[in-house]
Amino acid sequence: MKLSNIEFGFDNFLAEMKKLKTEKHFDYLVTIVGEDFGPEEGLGCIYILENTQTHERISVKQLAKQLGDEYVIPSIYHVWASSDLLEREVYDFLGIKFLGHPDMRRLFMRNDFEGWPLRKDFDMSPEKNQFPMTDEPESDWTSEWNLTKDGELVETKHRLFDDDDFVINFGPNHPSTHGVLRLQTVVDGETIKHIYPHLGYIHRGMEKMMESMTYPQTLAFTDRLNYLCAMHHRHALVSVIEEAMGVELSERIQYIRTIMDELQRIDNHLLFLGTCAQDLSALTAFLYCMRDREHLLNVMEETTGGRLIQNYYRIGGLQDDIDPNFVQNTKAFCNYMRPMVQEYLDVFGDNVITHKRLEGVGYMNLEDCVNYGVTGPAGRAAGWHNDVRKNHPYAVYDKVDWKEITGTGADSMERYMIHIKEIYQSLDIIMQLIDNIPEGEFYIKQKPIIKVPEGQWYTSVEGGAGEFGVYLDSRGDKSPYRLKMRPMGLTFAGAFDKMLRGQKVADLIATGASIDFVIPDLDR
Amino acid sequence: MSESYFGGIKDAVKTLATGLKVTMKEYFTPKSTEQYPENRKTTLHVSPRHRGRLVFSRVESLDDPQAVKRGLKVGDYKCTACTLCEKACPNGTIKIVSHMETDEETGRKAKVLDDYIYDLGDCMFCELCVNACNFGAIHFTNDFENAVFDRSKLVLHLDKEVYEGGSLPNLIDGGAPLTIGEFNTKTK
Amino acid sequence: MFDFQIVTTWFDNLLRQTLGLGDFWSILIECVMVGLIILTIYALIAMFMIFFERKVCAWFQCRLGPMRVGPWGVFQVLADVLKMLIKEIFGVDRSDKFLYALAPCLTIVASVGTFSFLPWNKGAQVLDFNVGVFMITAISSIGVLGVILSGWGSNNKYSVVSAMRGAVQMISYEMSLGLCMVIAVVLCGTMQLSGIVEAQTGPWKWLIIQGHIPAIVAFCIFLIAGNAEANRGPFDLAEAESELTAGYHTEYSGMGFGYFYLAEYLNLVVISGLAAAIFLGGWAPLNIGVDGFDAVMNYIPGFVWFIGKTLAVIWVLMWVRWTFPRLRIDHILILEWKYLMPLTLITLVVMTACVSLGLTF
Repeated sequence: MKLSNIEFGFDNFLAEMKKLKTEKHFDYLVTIVGEDFGPEEGLGCIYILENTQTHERISVKQLAKQLGDEYVIPSIYHVWASSDLLEREVYDFLGIKFLGHPDMRRLFMRNDFEGWPLRKDFDMSPEKNQFPMTDEPESDWTSEWNLTKDGELVETKHRLFDDDDFVINFGPNHPSTHGVLRLQTVVDGETIKHIYPHLGYIHRGMEKMMESMTYPQTLAFTDRLNYLCAMHHRHALVSVIEEAMGVELSERIQYIRTIMDELQRIDNHLLFLGTCAQDLSALTAFLYCMRDREHLLNVMEETTGGRLIQNYYRIGGLQDDIDPNFVQNTKAFCNYMRPMVQEYLDVFGDNVITHKRLEGVGYMNLEDCVNYGVTGPAGRAAGWHNDVRKNHPYAVYDKVDWKEITGTGADSMERYMIHIKEIYQSLDIIMQLIDNIPEGEFYIKQKPIIKVPEGQWYTSVEGGAGEFGVYLDSRGDKSPYRLKMRPMGLTFAGAFDKMLRGQKVADLIATGASIDFVIPDLDR
Repeated sequence: MSESYFGGIKDAVKTLATGLKVTMKEYFTPKSTEQYPENRKTTLHVSPRHRGRLVFSRVESLDDPQAVKRGLKVGDYKCTACTLCEKACPNGTIKIVSHMETDEETGRKAKVLDDYIYDLGDCMFCELCVNACNFGAIHFTNDFENAVFDRSKLVLHLDKEVYEGGSLPNLIDGGAPLTIGEFNTKTK
Repeated sequence: MFDFQIVTTWFDNLLRQTLGLGDFWSILIECVMVGLIILTIYALIAMFMIFFERKVCAWFQCRLGPMRVGPWGVFQVLADVLKMLIKEIFGVDRSDKFLYALAPCLTIVASVGTFSFLPWNKGAQVLDFNVGVFMITAISSIGVLGVILSGWGSNNKYSVVSAMRGAVQMISYEMSLGLCMVIAVVLCGTMQLSGIVEAQTGPWKWLIIQGHIPAIVAFCIFLIAGNAEANRGPFDLAEAESELTAGYHTEYSGMGFGYFYLAEYLNLVVISGLAAAIFLGGWAPLNIGVDGFDAVMNYIPGFVWFIGKTLAVIWVLMWVRWTFPRLRIDHILILEWKYLMPLTLITLVVMTACVSLGLTF
């Protein structure tokens, strides 16, 4: 959607935002985009909000107030819980201090990193950005910033740990964090008291890199986010560019994209079911999933040429037409896959041990899910109707007969079952489409140099683990002025503390397993 | 849990037995391990569209439109050193060295390719170079056995090499046939 | 039935009469010989077990398992052992050096100790006390010390959590394990392992048949508790590689880790061996009371019977391990104290009643 931003002004901002949530049901904070709007406007943020009843989306723009060298914006930490990590991200990249946020630390960059990388005046020279050879300094203290009545910025220190706290670092290298996530966990015996997520161990600065690349080049990165949702990521980025340019796609492209998205979803869910089992040490169930995923990857590879890095969508269509055997292979796969799902349930999902391990673990109710922005299957397990395919249909999802799957359990077991049901659902969607792929162009020819008209857009797709969105600010150039991705997993990391307080260490693993997060996607 | 003590036991035993039954069944079903490298010349299938490395497309017959237009011979490369691929590449994998030469007959100036340097070690297989090329001069093959002991050996000079279809027979066409839902675990 | 005592008596006579050695020298030589043989067998069995487990696990998981080193990968384990032997052994900063070094030794001592009790054949048993069953439980408890000390000594938070888990779990399950053995003792009337096996010779005399329902229940409980005692999935909480990386042996490398690894597999053999000896008749052949059949069965040497039965039990335990997910620590304790323990006690009472009323075969 093209954004038309509402502005409230610095003094009214917090009150108006609260009103939006309490009176107008804009409960779901989709994302916060921090941006350097240029020398005239300075730094600021764009808040994208969704009304959970009508699924209407609005965007609010708030410029930061400059106090000397510092930039400040009132924090919405106490309005939307998901803003905790999102505001820290903005602080990390742009140096905007959020007033009243109790934990204003860097999120992705090292604590001793100097400068604010997403500001346009950031010095990118290699001499200034040497690879650090020292250990990252760690502090037990964090800061909160506030304005006094006289308009002065004051710092309040908070302590993160007590003297007696027993702190276990889960990660950055840990078998069950699905990458390099670090969860600093304060435990009392085996009971969790608090979790501080530390991110950025695989932060590659994609958003910064994309600012100096042409639009086709930016696409190459998306497959390298959540490597199980390569198609979804690229679909979001391609759609936002196509929407901004006003490209009309042929039916064939839309059909193939939908099928590919669903195949990718099955791929993602299969790996989810597998790793979920593996994290609970049922290695056999993991390998059954991997075995069947292999067939799926074979189907996709015949057409896309890739297994993880699919590289298939491009601006204006697809990289290549579908393989001559694609229809036949996909049908063969769907027929093969359907009975296999029951096998996963037999060997793992229905197992009494699994039920005991997952039921009531990592519980998060509907209200908290919305508040923490826990989208995707995890949110749907709590009964939140958050499926982007339904709420904001794209490709041909509005032409297919399918129902959004939601649950009521709100715990890890329900999340597992949602994934199982979504595999069946994806198979159904594919079977509806596969025989009806219309003839037509697979690629709408674009100009050699792609330029996007001025404006701001945000488009999201339903990734395997949640909503994946891309915000694009174009100033009419051949490369984006600011491109921000809403990762699927970031909000999950922020929700861990809420989900797991008072539960066992083993439950941390079980919840991590049932929440489908992949670290390259969080870190970007 | 509201279920009864003994009902719980019964349920538990039943679900556990189901699990055991499944693994027992799988114990005797055909396995899924494909035995690379033993199967590399026999039962290995690699998708023809798999992106293994970049190669120059050579003129195969004189009917080729490029050959007709530019008077190329069979076996000539089609690259014109226009550097579009070099510019399209996100991470500088391709370097083109060329010089200007005047055609003595027509008097027209044209770029002549001296060296087409492709660093396989840097390539991220995004296919943007292929998309950018207007002459169909480059394409990806599924020749995937590219491991070497020295990084410098990954720097390829595409115009100078004579590419003969990779290290495996029939690989370019995909090798052994593929059946979805089955694995060929044999080596012969 | 071949009696291994012939060999031992011959060797004893060789030392004492042919060579004319005194008590001290002949016993010393015999002890050293036996020790060497036991350790060799121990190592060989461990290597076999690693290969066996890899293949069985692979087959359950639709894989082929190791295939590269030697035909069907049979030399894979040799390569692994070689690797483990030549690996650097490093110490951990600020660890308790003494306990850190002691722990693997304790584990291996406990494991070799219980291993020596296994009745391989008639007359082929290294340790055979008249309180054998107690002795086994006593020695196997040393293994818990190994887990606790390694966890405590290696200055690693995961290891400490793992050590506590291991201790809690092993102490709990030792109850059931011991009681199951007591059930067998009730039936056989002896605590000597050779006596227990001897009581199972003859047609339909295996304990699991002799003691019918209570014995079968006891056998199942013994396998569950034994699996937990051997720290194997689904009870591998102490190791819990997806939670605690490798638990108590996270900080060990080379042969330090090798000892734990060996002990883990040998504990499996010991548990299966004991289950085979106590409930499945050990080296006692399958006799059904028909002379011709019995004669053929008796012709098969005892150690073949014993190894065959042990392997069958091991295979079942592997089947279980590679099917189920891991339990959580509180579930493990609930399983033991709320389900297994009462069941064992009831079985014990039933068994005693059966024996005193003569309701056994």
